[in-house]
Amino acid sequence: MRIVNPSFGLMPPEAEQISTRPVDWVHDPIVLFSNSKPNARELLEGVRDKLGEIRNVDDVGFVYKDSASQPAPAAIIDQVSGKYRVALLALGD
Amino acid sequence: MQDDVEELEVLEIGDLDFDQWNEYAIEQGWSDGMPLLPPTETAVARFTAVSRGDNEPFPPISPRRVIPTLDSLAANAVMAGCRPEYFPVVLAALRGVLEPDYNLHGSLATTHPCAPVIMVNGPLRKQLEINCSSNCFGQGTRANATIGRALELILLNIGGAKPGIMDRSTQGSPAKFSFCFGENEEESPWEPYHVRRGFSASDSVVTVMSGEPPHNINDHASFSAEGILTTISQSIAQPGSNLMYGKGPFMLVLGPEHAATLKRDGLSIGDIQQEVFQRARVHVSRVSKENQREYAGADRFPENDYYTVCPGPEDIHVAVAGGPGKHSAYIPSFGGTAVCSVRVSQPA
Repeated sequence: MRIVNPSFGLMPPEAEQISTRPVDWVHDPIVLFSNSKPNARELLEGVRDKLGEIRNVDDVGFVYKDSASQPAPAAIIDQVSGKYRVALLALGD
Repeated sequence: MQDDVEELEVLEIGDLDFDQWNEYAIEQGWSDGMPLLPPTETAVARFTAVSRGDNEPFPPISPRRVIPTLDSLAANAVMAGCRPEYFPVVLAALRGVLEPDYNLHGSLATTHPCAPVIMVNGPLRKQLEINCSSNCFGQGTRANATIGRALELILLNIGGAKPGIMDRSTQGSPAKFSFCFGENEEESPWEPYHVRRGFSASDSVVTVMSGEPPHNINDHASFSAEGILTTISQSIAQPGSNLMYGKGPFMLVLGPEHAATLKRDGLSIGDIQQEVFQRARVHVSRVSKENQREYAGADRFPENDYYTVCPGPEDIHVAVAGGPGKHSAYIPSFGGTAVCSVRVSQPA
């Protein structure tokens, strides 16, 4: 029996390649990104404390979405991708 | 059988009987838990034949972010048990949930139990025998059951909204199987919903909202608009709703008997929206201190000790559906979403 694949889809032409260079957790610029759900900030503060054991955390950034239910605005994503090498996302709830 | 099934549009799966086919489909993760019809090339071709003329490309479907083909969409409609002539309605519903304001990714990935609510207006309701009357939210009508199911299967299989993986709903809801009905335009005392949204009465229009299953509003004793509005408003004012964040729309689906009483007492749709907006409010005494702090953190505060449940009267979407009986329904939305209406593209 020949069937049409119900899960078939095409990758969008603008889909970007993900960088494969390893992360330098001690020196690379890092941002903590909250989805603005309850406890997301607390989770990220714990991550920041852990990072403090291996690096200076004064330059570790923190950003959050305006709304937990809405996607992050493109301007925030552009800002984060331009400024940081790593974004750690907290999916609190 | 091939192993790389996601990369191929047509699959040779061997000589399977119906039970074997369903076991195979379940192994692939294609099922909602119920049996599926096999999307053979022949069956799919019957569906795509009725959607000629609908050539507008589809954007990527979240959360997997891949672009569907007409054949892969039709395969899901076949599996759901649709008749070919339902397919344009399925496609219109998909275009609705893909509108950016609908926030498909958020509504699929959330812990909230929302699902696409599909309401159909216009002549196609009758042509396709979509149930608009008794038990319109329930079982027993092929169009209602399979149009909603087809959209759900598309979101599962092409969109990748796998339960427990990318669909993170804490408890889910029966509406995730199918939630499709038609407005009972013939028994509505007002203009049809789609006409109020700017479409022609002769257009067939699909309206979608990311919502919960219907919450019943029973009022057998009130024979006045005042009484019915009191019951409706107090049934909507619930502190455990996503609408407590005050950001989203909701649907108020009036049973024809409640609608007739409201009309008899002189209320327009605008009057009902205004009255419900003013009355459906939650007193702070019904909201925990922790939640009050949570809302305040999102710059949301009560007005005169009451929380509103939507941004404004225009966010209350009133329609008429159902049969005899003194019941109406309140359908809360996910919150961070919009009600989107799309004209059904008719075969060329």
